[in-house]
Amino acid sequence: MQRTRSEVVGRAVRTAVRNPGRTILTMLGLAIGVGAFLAMVSFGTGARSSVMEQFEILGTRVVYIWGNMGRRNFGGSARPLTDADVEALLRDSLTIERVVPRITEVRNVKSAFARYPTKVTGTMPDFVHIREWPMLTGGMFDQTDLRQRAKVAVIGTTVARELFGRRDPVGQTITIGSNLPLRIIGVLVAKGEQTTGEDMDDIILIPATTYQAFLGMPTGYHELMLQVRDLSLLQTAMVEAIPIMRRSHRLADIEEDDFRMASPAQAAELARFVSNILTGLLVGIAAVSLLVGGIGVMNIQLVSVAERTQEIGVRSAIGASPSQIMVQFLAEAVVLSLTGSLAGVGLGWLASTLVAEAMSWSGTLSPLTMAGAAAFGTSVGVAFGYLPAKRAAQLEPIDALRHE
Amino acid sequence: MSGFSIVEASGISKVFPNMTSPVLDGVSIEIESGEIIALMGPSGSGKSTLMNILGCLDGPTAGTYLLGGRDVSTLTARERAWVRLHYIGFVFQSFHLIGDHTVLENVTLPLYYAGLDRHEREARAVEVIERVGLGHRLGHRPAQLSGGEKQRVAIARAVSGQPRLLLADEPTGALDTRTGAEVMELLLEMHDARALTLVIVTHDPEIAAYCHRQIFLRDGKVVSEGRGHAAHA
Repeated sequence: MQRTRSEVVGRAVRTAVRNPGRTILTMLGLAIGVGAFLAMVSFGTGARSSVMEQFEILGTRVVYIWGNMGRRNFGGSARPLTDADVEALLRDSLTIERVVPRITEVRNVKSAFARYPTKVTGTMPDFVHIREWPMLTGGMFDQTDLRQRAKVAVIGTTVARELFGRRDPVGQTITIGSNLPLRIIGVLVAKGEQTTGEDMDDIILIPATTYQAFLGMPTGYHELMLQVRDLSLLQTAMVEAIPIMRRSHRLADIEEDDFRMASPAQAAELARFVSNILTGLLVGIAAVSLLVGGIGVMNIQLVSVAERTQEIGVRSAIGASPSQIMVQFLAEAVVLSLTGSLAGVGLGWLASTLVAEAMSWSGTLSPLTMAGAAAFGTSVGVAFGYLPAKRAAQLEPIDALRHE
Repeated sequence: MSGFSIVEASGISKVFPNMTSPVLDGVSIEIESGEIIALMGPSGSGKSTLMNILGCLDGPTAGTYLLGGRDVSTLTARERAWVRLHYIGFVFQSFHLIGDHTVLENVTLPLYYAGLDRHEREARAVEVIERVGLGHRLGHRPAQLSGGEKQRVAIARAVSGQPRLLLADEPTGALDTRTGAEVMELLLEMHDARALTLVIVTHDPEIAAYCHRQIFLRDGKVVSEGRGHAAHA
C-alpha cells in the first residue's frame, strides 16, 4: 500500500508540473494566506517583546513619582519633591523597599579632550540597582561619597565616547559648567535607545548631595523612583504611596495631588493589551486571507474537475473506482496546498525577517510556528479540495465520457 | 469458438428520465466467447446505450445481463468499475487518450488501477505497445501522434489489462480508409492472439463484413441478426 500511496503523490506532482499556470494560481492564494498569517504572528510577538524590553529598561518593579513644579494646580501651590518625601515613603510604606530621587538637567561638560552637553543626573547609589543597570568598568559611588558630597561621577557609554574617544575614562576628570571638576569612577553598560529615540547612555550620574551643593536644586528632585518589594505589590504600593505623599506635602483634603505617579509595568501591561488586540485583529485578517486561499484551491480544483471531466470518464471506463478518482484529486489538492503553504512560510519568514531587521526586533518566528502554519494551510487546502474530489468521484462515467 | 456464452442479455430495457420512449426495449442477445460481433443500426437506434450496458458503464432499467455467467445488471458503481477493470476493454471513436500522459503512461493506466507494481506494469505495457508497432513512441504525448497511431495506443491500453470482452465504438470512424483498415486488422490480430470477444459498434458495412455476426438495432429493438460472410473467420 505504501508503494501505491507514494505513486499517487508522484502522479499528482506530475499533473501539477505539467499544468504550471493552474498550479501557480492555486498555490498563490494559499501562499499569500500562510505568508500573511506568519507575518502577522511575527509582527505581533515582535512588537510585544519589544514592549517588554522597554519595560525592563525602566525597571521591573518600579513606580515613578513626578513633581508638578511649574504646573500649578488651582487650589494650592505644588511643593517640590525633597529628601523629606524620600524619608516619609521609606518610613511609612510597608511595600516599598528603596526610594531613589533623581534630578536631571542638561549641562555643558568638558574633558581634557572635548566638550559635550549632556544630561547630568543627581541621584543615589541605589539608582543602578533600581534600574538594573550594571557597570561596564569601575564602580558606582557609595553612601560615603553621598555623605561627603564627593566630586565623583559615573558616565554612560555615549558620554565616554564623546569626551574621551577610545581612551579609558575611569580616573579622568571632567568639569561640569565652569566650577565643578569631577573624577570619573565608573562607566555604565550600554542600554541603547528607548522606543522614543532617547539615548539611554547619554548620561552622567553624580551624588545627589554633590549636585545640590554645587549645581543647586531650587525646585527639588524631578523624580522619585520607588522600588517595590515584589512585583505583585505594585498596585498596593501605588495606593499606599498617595496618602504618604499627600501628608508629606501637607495637602489639604480639597487640594488635588501635586505629583503624578506611574509604573512602567502598568504602561507595559496597557501596551501589551493593545498589542494583543492588534495582533488578534491582524491574525484574524490573515486567517480570512487563508480562508480565501482555501476557497481559491476549491475553485481551481472545481474548474480542473470540469476541464478534465472527459479524462475522468476515460479513467472510469478503464476501470478506476470512484475512490481511486477521488484519491487522485485529493492528492492533487494536497500537493498544491502543501507547496503553496511552504511557499507561504518562505514569504512569511522573509517578511518577518525584513521587518524585524527594520525595527531591530529579535527573531520572532519559531520553527514550530512555521510548521504549524504550513500544516494549517495544507489542511485548509485539503479541506477545500474535498468537495471537487468528491464531485469528480461521483461523475457518471457515460456522462463524463460524452462531456466535451 | 469455445461455445460458451460470455454475454447473455435478456429483456434489457433502458429508460432515461425525461424521455417518453425507452432507448432500449427488451433487447436479448447472446454472444459466445471468441465471437466478433458488429453492432449496427441508425443513430438513435440505441446501439451506444447497449454498448454502455454491455461494457458495464451503465446498468439496465430492466432485464438481466450475465457477463461470463455472472449477473452484473444490478451492481453498484464501485462493483461495475471492478468488472470493467478486470473483464472489459474499451476503444473509442475519438481515442480518448489522456493528453498529459505519455504513450507508456496511457497504456499502463489499467494496470495501475489494478494495483500492479510499476516494474510489472511497464514491462507488460511495453510488450503490448511493441505489439501494436509503437515501441519507438513510448515517451510521446498523444498530440505528437497521428490518428492511426493514437488508435493503436488506445487499443494497446484496452488490451493491456487482458480483458475478456473488447468493446469498440466506431473505432475507425475518425480515420481515413487505409488507416481504418489497418486499425481493423490490428483489432482482429488482438482478437486472435488474446482470445478476445470483440463487439464493434459501426455503421460501416465493410467493417461489419469482418465480423462473424451482425446484430441490427432499430428503435431500441433487435430487428435482425445476420451471419455475415465472415471474411476473417
